[in-house]
Amino acid sequence: MGRIICNIILAISMGFFLPSSLNAQGNGLMIVANGESIPAEMDMVQLQAVLKGEKLRWNDGSRVSIALMKTTTPVGNNTCEKLYNMSGNELNKYFLALVFQGKVKAPTFFNSIGELEAYVAQTPGAIGVLPESKESLLKIIIVDGKPQI
Amino acid sequence: MKNIDKRFMMFLSLVMLQGFLDQIKAQDTKIRGFVDIGASIREDKLNFEFGEYDLFITSELSDRVSFLGETVFRFDSSNDIHHGFAVGVERAIINYNYSGNHSLLIGKHHTPLNYWNDTYHHGRVFFPTVGRPLIFESRFFDLHTTGVALQGHNLGKLKFGYNLMVGNGLGSADIRDNDKYKSVTAAVHIKPADKVQIGVSFYNDIISQGAEIFNTEIDNKIKLQLYTGSVSYFGKKYELLAEGTLLNNNTDSIGSKQSFSSYLYAGIRLKEKWVPYARVDYINYQDTNSYLGIDDKSSFLAGLRYEISYLMVVKLEYQYIKGDITGSMNRVTTQFAIGF
Repeated sequence: MGRIICNIILAISMGFFLPSSLNAQGNGLMIVANGESIPAEMDMVQLQAVLKGEKLRWNDGSRVSIALMKTTTPVGNNTCEKLYNMSGNELNKYFLALVFQGKVKAPTFFNSIGELEAYVAQTPGAIGVLPESKESLLKIIIVDGKPQI
Repeated sequence: MKNIDKRFMMFLSLVMLQGFLDQIKAQDTKIRGFVDIGASIREDKLNFEFGEYDLFITSELSDRVSFLGETVFRFDSSNDIHHGFAVGVERAIINYNYSGNHSLLIGKHHTPLNYWNDTYHHGRVFFPTVGRPLIFESRFFDLHTTGVALQGHNLGKLKFGYNLMVGNGLGSADIRDNDKYKSVTAAVHIKPADKVQIGVSFYNDIISQGAEIFNTEIDNKIKLQLYTGSVSYFGKKYELLAEGTLLNNNTDSIGSKQSFSSYLYAGIRLKEKWVPYARVDYINYQDTNSYLGIDDKSSFLAGLRYEISYLMVVKLEYQYIKGDITGSMNRVTTQFAIGF
């Protein structure tokens, strides 16, 4: 029992405090999601539209919740460049402006990959960007025919 | 196998913790704000200036209902009670996202008449220039409308967007309408390419005889229509924004009179953070007998914007304004705008 509690505490600590770069496998990214109605495959244009907040709801009516690593993390920075074609500063400005206009709910930003994974797992309609990995317990979205970007 | 067990255990723990946190923050409320402070040289002296203190609140009340509020504290020389400061509720909107990208909005809105008013609101940190275009001093339209609106955006390949709003209109207050007439605003736009937006809008209202607008009592009932068009492009290198507004005022005694206002803004990003820019403005009043101004104006400004970050922007600007009645004026202004 004590060992299980220790494991849980360790897991939480790792999820929250490990720098995201330690979890990253390389420069690639993968898209994870939670929801049956979220397309299992998208092309890059569709994905970018979703991640830019241009789609508020999936086809089953569930809300699109965007989960990103903070732009100050290596994964977050990589996400900005590869998927948004923006710098971290530009991405933050982009979403602040849209929120100010009342057009979208801002993405939820995370410090650790574990937190982001847990948020996506817990939130129906969530879509998140993770560093590439061979395994994930979440639904992986195929983008332009590939599981990794 | 052991590795997978460990990974699963870690994942499960985080899911449980996230669930607990979600219970705590079921209602997601965020408070942000904007402030601008500046200095200007005008009338041959240096003036330090406090601009606006803008508090901005968003709250997710449920999966489909959210709230947006914007309250501005600004200097008002007529207000002695609060050390010369007045509080204005600029926006208070309850948003019901009833389907896809379509929403029903009720409350006090910024009238979605032109690009500037519907995009920058009171966030000076977003303004490409120090201040608003001259049209905002022209009394062509009420910046705010209290009423109900249908809104949609990013629809189809052209990313079509619309706003259809019915409100109390000119002459009324936020708590009641002064007459039976309602203002109707219809605005549509498309985004045919990345960072490009083209929009047109229409506003129709009737101002009753005896109504008071912009501190002017209206002698005769006025039927008014506004037509606006805008084109904007804010790319990585170049920035361009052009808007034109035609106002048609019609009274039984004088007939139809048109007034016109337009501006053109252009900027170029030289380095990541430096943007030199220029803007020209023009206002022409044909209707000089009503609540509108009578001083035709033109203006040229040139400035330099330094974007320290998305939350901190410094601008230095020179502006020349020429009024047919008020004459010409030069001013140099600097502004430090922040978001928090």
